Formats: sequence, C-alpha cells, structure tokens
Amino acid sequence: MKLLVIAVLLAPAALAQGDLEGFWTNATNTPLERPASVNGREFHTDEEMAANAEKARQPADIAALAGTDIHYDFTQYGLDPSQSQQHLGRRTSIIVDPPDGKLPPLIPEARQRAAARAEARKKVGQFDGPETRPLTERCIIWPGEGPPMLPEAYNSEMQIHQGPGYVAIFQEMIHDVRIIPLDGSPHPGPKIRQYMGDSRGHWEGRTLVVDTTNFNGRTNFRGSTENLHVIERFTRVDADSILYEFTVEDPQTWPKPWKGELIMTKTEGPIFEYACHEGNYGMANTLSGARAAEAEAGEKNK
Amino acid sequence: MLLIAIAALCAAAACAQTPDLNGIWQSMNTANWDLEEHSSAPGPLSQLGAVGATPPGLSVVEGGSIPYLPAALAKKQENFANRLTADPEIKCYMPGVPRATYVPQPFQIIQNEKNVMIAYQFAGAVRMIPLHDPGPAPAPQWMGWSWGKWEGQTLVVDVTGFNDKTWFDRAGNYHSNALHVVERYTLRNPAILDYEAIIEDPKVFSRPWKISMPLYKHAEKNAQLLEFRCVEYTEDLLYGHLRKKASK
Repeated sequence: MKLLVIAVLLAPAALAQGDLEGFWTNATNTPLERPASVNGREFHTDEEMAANAEKARQPADIAALAGTDIHYDFTQYGLDPSQSQQHLGRRTSIIVDPPDGKLPPLIPEARQRAAARAEARKKVGQFDGPETRPLTERCIIWPGEGPPMLPEAYNSEMQIHQGPGYVAIFQEMIHDVRIIPLDGSPHPGPKIRQYMGDSRGHWEGRTLVVDTTNFNGRTNFRGSTENLHVIERFTRVDADSILYEFTVEDPQTWPKPWKGELIMTKTEGPIFEYACHEGNYGMANTLSGARAAEAEAGEKNK
Repeated sequence: MLLIAIAALCAAAACAQTPDLNGIWQSMNTANWDLEEHSSAPGPLSQLGAVGATPPGLSVVEGGSIPYLPAALAKKQENFANRLTADPEIKCYMPGVPRATYVPQPFQIIQNEKNVMIAYQFAGAVRMIPLHDPGPAPAPQWMGWSWGKWEGQTLVVDVTGFNDKTWFDRAGNYHSNALHVVERYTLRNPAILDYEAIIEDPKVFSRPWKISMPLYKHAEKNAQLLEFRCVEYTEDLLYGHLRKKASK
C-alpha cells in the first residue's frame, strides 16, 4: 500500500516527463518548402530516398553553397553538409500545413511592410556600416535559432539539458541557450521584447510543449512582426529521435497559422563554443574593403 | 519494501546528498570594477558623470593583492590606461572565468546528475559543465573548458583551455592562455552560495591566488534571465571608424 502511494506521488513529478536529455541535431535534407520537383507529393518514393542518400554523401556545389562566385572550400572547414550527420526525411517539406507544403501567402499588410523595408534598404548602401549588414554577419542571431528552431547551413547541433523546473536548449549557433520554465508562470509584460522571444513550457504526457511570445520584431521570421507566436512540441519517438512539431502564427503576417515538423536526431557532443562576435573579423574586413573600393573609385573619377 | 520505494523516490527527486544549486544568482560587490580594494573614482568618460563613476569596494583577493610578475604588472597598468577601447567587456565579448560570475548581471544554474549548466545573462555566455572528466580542451575558448565533480557538499569545477583575450575586471587585471582556474561552489544556506576561485597562471603571476565572495539567490518570484544581446551596443565602438563618411 505504501508503495502504491509513493508510486502515485512519483508519477506526476518524474514519470510523466519525457526524456529529451542529450545531444541532438536538426540537420535534414528536407527543405522548409516543398520543391516543385516532387510534383506535389508529400513523401518521397523509395527511389528518391535512395537517390537522396547518395546525394547526401556528395559535397555540395561550392558556388551554390556560398551564394557567391568566391571560392570558399566548405569541406576544408568541415562545413559541408556531407560531412555532418543529417536526417534523410521521408517528407518532401518541413511545412505540413498548408497541405501543399508551402508558406502561406503574406497578407497585404505584410507585403506592404516587406516593400517598405526593401525601399528603405535602397536608400542606404548595403556596406555603409554594420547596421546595414544582415543580423548573421553582425553575429546578433542566426535564422535557425528560432523559435521555431530550423536547420542552419552548418552546426545544427544542440544539447537539451533538463533540470528541476526547467528545460534548457543550448544551441551551438551562436552560443545561445533557451531557458524554458515549466512552472506555469506567465510571459513577462509587453515591453519585454527579445530576439528569441520568451518561452514557457509544460508537459502534455511525454511531450514538451513550449509557447513563445515577446519577440522584438527585428527577428523578422519570414516577414513576421513582434506579435509572432510560436508553439513547439518535442516528443521522444525512439532512442535516437525527437519529433519536433511547430505552429507559427502572426495575424499581421499570415491569414492563418501554419505548421511544420522535422526529426531531431541523436548526435555526439560536446557543443563547442561558437564565439561569433568575438571572432568577427569579417565585419571589419567587409567594411574596410568597401571603403577601399570607394577610395579607388574616387581616384579614378578625379 | 518501503526502503526500496524510498530509495526510488530519492533517486527520482535527487534527494540524496547532492546540494541544490539550482537558481538565479548574482554577486553583490564591485569586483568587476577591480578585484583589489579601491576607492571611488571618476569613470573614463566625464560625460557619464556619477553614472559612469567607479563605486568603491574592498578586495575580494585573499591577502589583498594579486601577485603579478614585474613585467606583467606593467601590462595590467597599460590595460587600465586603454580600458575604454581594450576591455573585452566593453566590446561585448564573453567575459571568461571567473569574471562571468561577478559582472553585475545575474546568471542561472540548472543542474542534473550528469551536467551543471551555468547560463550568464551578460553576452549570453554559457558553460555546460559535465560531471566527468572530458579530457583535455580541444581548442582555446573564451569561457574555457570546464568539468566538475562533487567533493562532499562542494561543486568543484576545473577550468582550462582559455585564450588570452579576457580580463578579470575593468582595472585591467588579466591572464595569459596558461590560465587554470579551480572554482568551488558551496551552499552556505539555501539563499547564499559561497564562491571561490583559485587562479594559476605562471606566465603572469608569481604564485596561485584566490578570490572569494558570496553569491546571492534572486528571491523574486518571477526572476528570469533576459536577453542582453550587447553586440549592437558595441558596433559603433568597434566598427565606427569603418563607416562610410557622409558625402559633402
């Protein structure tokens, strides 16, 4: 009888929680949106799976990966996707709703915002100063850090650490940790605005559900405003996998919420220190390069 | 039967002997301005008036002063003279160890039986401290390479693998890449965590030396770390000279 009482005591505290502890990667060959090449199919065929597995072993085209004509050997630095563990998904897109696997169209208000931003960008030179460079180059935040957490071009590793009353998600990019309280406490007030928002979690059975608000608007996730609201669900589906599902909503950006999912795969640690800003020689080099080019052009015009 | 059940309960609730360091902690001293004793002083920018001034404080160094090698002391003084542009804190760089503990912002400890995580609000620095020896540091890191073990009621963290780029305070106290820090975290009571760090660096100091200070637990019901993503605040300092000049 006593045993039964203790078992009942234990159940809500420990047994009902899922075990997400450990090192994970959300790298996957599945793109966010469904490519035209799969002709609208939600899942890959066996033939496509085999071809994808072969393709995953080949280093990516360097020029395509860098997005420029500059030769940058990703394999030399271990940054090529073929050098990392990645999940080869059966799904043809991370987006599962809308069912066509595509981002829903922006509402008119959001299109106007995007147009205004593009117009504002034209008024300043893109190399005039650090503020006109992307957040990634400035080492402020990387797009996959989320939430929702999506694969980065490289270093898509994270460590989930569960302690009393909290789950912490320590992402290698760019040394950011999400500390998620599980005590049912509310989000802070509306003046608290953060790049990664404010996350609160709870367990629904063995699924960790995380609700995030209080974004700052500069995160600009696919055109979103500061009213972005993300709900994530983490479910350990087997020893090596977490099913990661997310719902994104922002009535000022999309007509209705949209959803995605991917598999996070168990990987090896540790997480190394990604000292992005501390080692950001690129910013100084980019800006001084632009000044040198201007000086050279000025000389020619004399 | 009851004994087994209680043992199971204890294991699940971590009610064994492991001290509970979980919480949001902060120092309450002026060590970040100067580890050694110091009177109040004007700040490096007169425009900031009293806001930018140095608050006075007693030494947190055992024995009072830091045992510099003679040449290294000159470098410390040079650091202080150049602090407005050279202090890694002003550049929003990860503060290193032990400085992360006493920069005037909170940090959070989340522990389980495998790891102790310490997340610092300042610059979002994080240390995931495994409770086993992971072997030597794979590469130098700003926050070093840490591993911990429980010695009785004390969490002892051994930190190596530093680079030579962080300082200990705004007074220019510094170290080389030979730095080795041993930290000791001991609960005095549920609200006070005694912190000690033994600092060893034969390139800079004539002998190991020790700092100690209590850390205080944030008792606010809604205490939480917030984003202090300070890169934006330092871009003008770091890159302002490379900005395009306004055309005439």
